[in-house]
Amino acid sequence: MTRIACFFVPMFPLAARLRSEPALLQEAVAIVEGNGANAHVIAATRRARTKGIRPGLSLAQARSILPKLIARARDAECERTAQEALFEVAETFSPRVEDAGEGVVYVDVTGMERHYRERTSDNRQPTTGNTFQSELRMARAAMQSAEGVGLPARVGIAASKLAARVAAELPKAPTIVEAGKESEFLAPLPLTRLSPQLDAASTLTRWGIASIGDLAGLPESEVASRLGELGRELHYAARGIDPRPLIPKPMPPEFREGTDLEWPLVALEPFLFIASAALDRLSKRMEMQGFACTRLELTLGLEPDGFYSRAIDLPAPTRDVKTMLTLLRLDLEKTPPGAPVVSFALVAHPDRPRRTQLSLFGPAALSPEKLATTIARLVSLLGDGRVGMAMAVDGHLPERHAIGAYAPPPPPVTRRKPEKSHGILGVRVFRPALAVEVITRETEGDTQITAVHGEGDVCGNVRVASGPWKVEAGWWSDAPAAREYWDVELDRGGVYRLYQSGADWFVDARYD
Amino acid sequence: VRSGAELIRHISNHERTDIIPTTLDALDTLLGGGLQRGKLVELVSRRAAGRFSVVLSALAAATSIGEAAALIDLGDHFDPQLAEANGVDLRRLLWVRPRTVKEAVMSAEMITATGFQMVIVDVGLHPLRGRRAPDAAWVRLARTAEAHGTAMLVSAPYPLTGTACEAVVKGTFSTPRWLGRGQSPRLLQAIDLHLSLEKHRHMRPGATAVQPLLAWEGVDARRQTSVVVPASAQPRSVVESTSRRVAEGASPTEAHQSLPAVNPSKTRRLDDSKTPQATHQPLAASRSTTRRPDDFNTLTRTPRPINTRG
Repeated sequence: MTRIACFFVPMFPLAARLRSEPALLQEAVAIVEGNGANAHVIAATRRARTKGIRPGLSLAQARSILPKLIARARDAECERTAQEALFEVAETFSPRVEDAGEGVVYVDVTGMERHYRERTSDNRQPTTGNTFQSELRMARAAMQSAEGVGLPARVGIAASKLAARVAAELPKAPTIVEAGKESEFLAPLPLTRLSPQLDAASTLTRWGIASIGDLAGLPESEVASRLGELGRELHYAARGIDPRPLIPKPMPPEFREGTDLEWPLVALEPFLFIASAALDRLSKRMEMQGFACTRLELTLGLEPDGFYSRAIDLPAPTRDVKTMLTLLRLDLEKTPPGAPVVSFALVAHPDRPRRTQLSLFGPAALSPEKLATTIARLVSLLGDGRVGMAMAVDGHLPERHAIGAYAPPPPPVTRRKPEKSHGILGVRVFRPALAVEVITRETEGDTQITAVHGEGDVCGNVRVASGPWKVEAGWWSDAPAAREYWDVELDRGGVYRLYQSGADWFVDARYD
Repeated sequence: VRSGAELIRHISNHERTDIIPTTLDALDTLLGGGLQRGKLVELVSRRAAGRFSVVLSALAAATSIGEAAALIDLGDHFDPQLAEANGVDLRRLLWVRPRTVKEAVMSAEMITATGFQMVIVDVGLHPLRGRRAPDAAWVRLARTAEAHGTAMLVSAPYPLTGTACEAVVKGTFSTPRWLGRGQSPRLLQAIDLHLSLEKHRHMRPGATAVQPLLAWEGVDARRQTSVVVPASAQPRSVVESTSRRVAEGASPTEAHQSLPAVNPSKTRRLDDSKTPQATHQPLAASRSTTRRPDDFNTLTRTPRPINTRG
């Protein structure tokens, strides 16, 4: 039999707002809908409710009761990201998830209770315990997961969506409705549980029907003849029959977090403080799905209108909040938005983190995730193009070089002996080459370098000179290079590589 | 382990594998086998050449056994082509190019904490870029290396790490050796690097060694292709000029005409579109004598695959 779990977040607009602003959790906060005189409270925290703030009060009434009430407008961005987070939590339990909106998500958990059976004493084999206890354990785990993303969700499990929804709305969560006992479960509940916006409630009340069980006890045909198709559907629902199938929805391809700000921000630090919390939530959501961020998009809403978008490509997939925040800071410092910020949205494009298998006998391999994080932090510290894998480049000019993404191959399975070094004399390349003044002595047809005058140690009389060697490269291009190279040993020490290009002399390397 | 002998053998084997040799005999002898994992070794030389060659050899040795290595290249001096020719597996090498000493130390600490088994910090030539890092930063770096078992080498023109290092090896001086005498053309053959052990926590300092470093013709393909024998050494008219004077006063045509005359028959144009074997003919080979490569007092031209990339 199909088993449906319903995730339900009571007072969803408030829960979504508190998720974005956790500092308000202990405050008297009310979520307000509407503007001006039409503004009215739709949800309030426990602290506000104890002072008498109830949904439906106008903002002026609420403030007269509690002057220190913190009022927040309903934030569509917050609610959207909270709904996505709830969806992702549900998706960790089963791939068949339906997004019903407004803090409600249905999951098909048929057969999933087997993973939550009680273990034997040695914690190896699951026992063949009863299904009810397993589902209860699963529901508790689901509530805990939702708590992890900052949403106080309740969970109900039943055979139909309707029964699961009603079970989730009950205060003593989690509630498990055993298979085939949906009608018994619903019978004592008031009719308002069936559907809060029930149009036929007043009619049924006049008939003397107070509970769902009373309605289920009536003959179906009689109810249908008096209330029409709505009556038939109500009767089915009262008996725990829900003909609506679960309609799974694929998970969104990216992770999104954002919020509207209470007042415009003009400084970077306060914005980064808020963005850090959003990145932290993004990181947790991606971790839950086993993803890491490979591209981070930032959209800022500006005052009075307009948007400012930036995209940051991360050098490697990572979930490290500090790294992403540093990259964000550097990017905004480099290109500030130019106007006060009133809202923001962060979109993380996920990718699978790099995985590798460690060797038992060979050299230790680097953890791909740690490596990716380190490279991202190094890039944020040093800038683009300063960290990576050095690559040999085809060509003839000695200063050529390239740098690419660092992705080392796995280490050998067994330890090897190091290869004997060639013991070759290395060169320190100067990038860019140092311009120097060279004193030459020309005989007929011959040039002898007698002295080099440059900065620092690159100065002195030439003890030995060797050359020239001609290099001509890229003669077909717009920037041809025709050089004559010399090796010179200076009397102050050091052997340098010089070249003459046109009339100018440069030192491009030191033998070191 | 059942006996004391087995225990000693086990510890000995363990200690031996805890060293990554640089495969440069002189340096390995001074350091008791090579760079010890978890320790920071400092290589210092201001005037003596050869410090960067030691860095390349250490990287080649570490990458050849499959370890991930990192080079913190403060001076941006690294030449990938030369390193590859020297045996460095570039795929296993992380090349980091900081701008200041502070950035270099921070980068080294991050990389060490990631698990790299060989980290080399080359701070370049004198003068250093940026201010010196405080001693506490080097101590923290040494502790990070110890915690992660990383063999760390700091290559600097003068001592930087203070008390944080396990050993200090100083390049006291270097002597270049040139081929050719009298009026004949010269060719750089090798540089002998004289090393001395200045400090070691477990060995007596003061030991010295000489490490010959060979100038390989493959270092630069121009040697293969366009070694030009300078004209005869009989000066007839001597004109002394400076490049600055040429640059300011002479036209490019005149400057070109003032370049030293070369024998066209002995120069080759390096051209990608030309046949590659054109770069495989060392012009200087005909005038050199090939001898055994282990005899450093003679010309050493071992037959190696020639780097056609130049």
